[in-house]
Amino acid sequence: MNDRRRINGPAGATLAPFFDDAAPQDLDTRSTRSRPPNATRKLLLKTGVTPSASGSAYLEIETSAKPGLSGLKLSCSVHGPRALPKSAPFSPHIVLSTHVKYAPFATQQRRGYLRDSSERDLGIHLETALRGAIIADRWPKSGVDIIVSIIEGDQDRETSKLQGDEVWDMMNTLSGCITVAAAALADAGIDCVDTVAGGVAALVQDADDGSAPSIAVDPIPSEHKRILAACCVAYLPTRDEVTNLWFRGDLPASDLDLYTSLVGHGIQASKNANRVLIDCLSGTVG
Amino acid sequence: MASSQHVLLSPAELAYLHASLSLTPPIRPDGRSPTQFRPLVAETGILPGTNGSARICFADGTEAIVGVKAEVERTAQRPGEETVFLEEGGAGGDGDDEEEEAGQGLDKRKGDASWVEMTVEIPGLRDDDSGTAFLAAMLSEALLADGEFAKRLWINRRFHWKLYLDIILISPPLSYPLPLLSLTTHLALLSTRLPRLKSEGDEDPFFDDDWAAAPYLFPRTTSSSSTPSSTTTKSPTPAATRPPITLLVMAVGNNIIFDPSKEELAVADVALAVSVTGLSPSHETETGGGTAGEKQTGRNLRLLSIRTIDPPSRLTAPGVANAANTAYGASNGTSNGTQKMAEAEAVEGVWRPPRGGAKRMVLGALVQKVLERGGVVDEVLDALEGADSG
Amino acid sequence: MPLDTSTYNLALLRVDGRRWNELRRVHAQIRTQAAADGSSYLEMGHTKVMCVVTGPSEPGPRRGTGGGGAGGAGAGGAAEVVVSIVIAGFSSVDRKRHGRGDKRTLELQSTVANALAASLHIHLFPHSQVNISLHVLSQDGSLLAALINAAALACVDAGIPMTDYVAACTAGSTSTYAANDEGADPLLDLNHQEEQELPGLTVATLGESDRVVVLVCESRVQVSRLEGMLAVGVDGCKQVREILDRVVREKGRRMVQEGTVEKGIGLNEMDVD
Repeated sequence: MNDRRRINGPAGATLAPFFDDAAPQDLDTRSTRSRPPNATRKLLLKTGVTPSASGSAYLEIETSAKPGLSGLKLSCSVHGPRALPKSAPFSPHIVLSTHVKYAPFATQQRRGYLRDSSERDLGIHLETALRGAIIADRWPKSGVDIIVSIIEGDQDRETSKLQGDEVWDMMNTLSGCITVAAAALADAGIDCVDTVAGGVAALVQDADDGSAPSIAVDPIPSEHKRILAACCVAYLPTRDEVTNLWFRGDLPASDLDLYTSLVGHGIQASKNANRVLIDCLSGTVG
Repeated sequence: MASSQHVLLSPAELAYLHASLSLTPPIRPDGRSPTQFRPLVAETGILPGTNGSARICFADGTEAIVGVKAEVERTAQRPGEETVFLEEGGAGGDGDDEEEEAGQGLDKRKGDASWVEMTVEIPGLRDDDSGTAFLAAMLSEALLADGEFAKRLWINRRFHWKLYLDIILISPPLSYPLPLLSLTTHLALLSTRLPRLKSEGDEDPFFDDDWAAAPYLFPRTTSSSSTPSSTTTKSPTPAATRPPITLLVMAVGNNIIFDPSKEELAVADVALAVSVTGLSPSHETETGGGTAGEKQTGRNLRLLSIRTIDPPSRLTAPGVANAANTAYGASNGTSNGTQKMAEAEAVEGVWRPPRGGAKRMVLGALVQKVLERGGVVDEVLDALEGADSG
Repeated sequence: MPLDTSTYNLALLRVDGRRWNELRRVHAQIRTQAAADGSSYLEMGHTKVMCVVTGPSEPGPRRGTGGGGAGGAGAGGAAEVVVSIVIAGFSSVDRKRHGRGDKRTLELQSTVANALAASLHIHLFPHSQVNISLHVLSQDGSLLAALINAAALACVDAGIPMTDYVAACTAGSTSTYAANDEGADPLLDLNHQEEQELPGLTVATLGESDRVVVLVCESRVQVSRLEGMLAVGVDGCKQVREILDRVVREKGRRMVQEGTVEKGIGLNEMDVD
């Protein structure tokens, strides 16, 4: 589907030649992870940022000290619950519609104004995660729109040649989207069984040699040599339930413990995010 | 979303279905065992105009066709990579995904996720429907998860195959089409052949006109030993891997049910799509004997991806218990009171849509059941291999 | 690659070895899919089409696609025939993605819808909809003809009352418009190569009569040649009708033998052995 309403830039974007004065060996050095493997990055979460919406929230993940490495910046607004249009069929539940959209300037690759397939994909993931948390039958015949804008993506500007990292970035983005949407839902006063928050854990290999891979929580793809597998979990802490699980990677089936501990670490990360979420929400009330 | 299409079942029917599926052993409406798939008719190589094609028809009438087309495309050169190319074999700093095969002379082969394009076409849905995008993302994610598949499309440093997978659902989506589409894609990829490369090195590629000599994208284990010449261009290590399959599994009560129909999915507590790939059995005996040291039947499976499917059960209308029903003498007092009663403890035999998520143990059990050695995946893969060769 | 028409005059054989009045191999099946009300599969040479018919049924929510609706749309006096055509990306030699709003597809849809609405007894089903969904799996010329034939077969399978078969075929001429060759012979059933180079038309007739229900000519051709082409096309339609009829009868006979359906009174006229 082409965007015919706006004047877009040329389709075939090229990368400007890149001359680096630094010595060749400097090219190899990657930023390495300074946090312990089970520590997440710091989060900033704020509700009520958009006055015109029923509920809204803003989430920012700590930018690392290294310049050029941006942190995730998300804003979410919730509109509703409001009556469904007359033409819509009867629904005994609240009708949830989620939109996730990257700002055109959020990532290295410019994003168009229309949602592409990865944004739609994220929207479905978010919907699944939230639908488990919302008590939907308290609002029959009504609908709610949840719109998440990704203002700045989680990407390292220097590692332009890294391919395939976008998928791992998507997981980080999704976990942020879940957390920020949960905060905005609470801000809008929509009943939920619990606050849901996202967490990511990955199986990473940092060394070239065949050393055993380790599990890191809240990974930044550019900080690791290789990511073998990752999972994003949306978790309800008081009910001890998972509303959305997205796993991707390559794991031998014989090693199910690895998978279990990966999910366990994801839940741990989600609990950390949830603490921030609870703090933020109780701060608003108090 | 195709999974959440409206289910025309009353709360009483849903409650009955849920109860019968929660029994041990569960009683399914069509009399299948919990791990049994719907019977299907499959054929491959139906379209000579494609590189590979397959058609699967489930007994309930849903039908899908997948066609694979390959085109030669020039690989985009990224600045800064030339230097690495000049020093042969020096897997410098940016060989992310290829250090495994060092020493085989294969480390220059690399793949890119953009070399595979997958489109899903479902009648009655818009092209840009989110559910279709989700299905396409899920299927391509499984295919690209291990990074090995894209490497098969490598021709030389300047050219690669661009693979187009067009998945068409012929029938209206009567049930969640994921298993059907995944199995059809699997078969189409098994039957996919690419012309044999005649050129050498980095020159412009040209190919053998003889289609009979074209090697399979996923080399057959039986033919690879007899005709080694056609498979020398392929690396021997990943040769035995098969295309992934994605299975739909759901949990009701304490039961795990495979390949749910639309009605069964409507009462699911949780539904997962699990993608796995299996090494073919003949290969397995070599490695299995070396690593595990014990003789086991079945394949070495690898877990590629898991996604939670939003079960349509959350969108069903709840039943009203007699105690809360004003027609049966419940106090017609404050609506708040009845509301509270409706949300209180579940009443036996009254349908309530599931709320909240799934316990970790349940998810773990679902995944474990899928990955069981000699389990459902083995059965399905065996059946598909039979369909392909037969 | 331009079509080499020079050899035709020597041997009177076309590029694929056919004579001027020969059809390509037509292979058809009906009731290919269990769940649908009616379904069919049709091959004309290398053009392969699948068709699934749902209905007559209650119309679903109105969609503003406007894709090939014909018949009593909105009036409520007759059923609406809605045709949707999906052209698979892998159907042509070079892979091409066909969007749903493709103008060419829309035109095909409305042509098929109008052709069938004319022969189906849609006035028997007021306030309802007949959904015809066509899938193009492989293209090698005569696409519109194949689509019409497949849709007609699927409607027969669905048991929708209709006056007679709608059978379609293409016809062309041995030399290009530019050649201005007065003595050009007409050709029957063009393949893709011929369709690209030579003038051609698609014609569909109703049953055994000479009544034309569809006539589409999208290429330049001298008027003097048109009549010959049309005559050959109509003749081809009759051959196609025979083939379609044989397919339906064969399937019916088999269903009676298998006991799927009771041998009815009407079947006595059908010579069941």
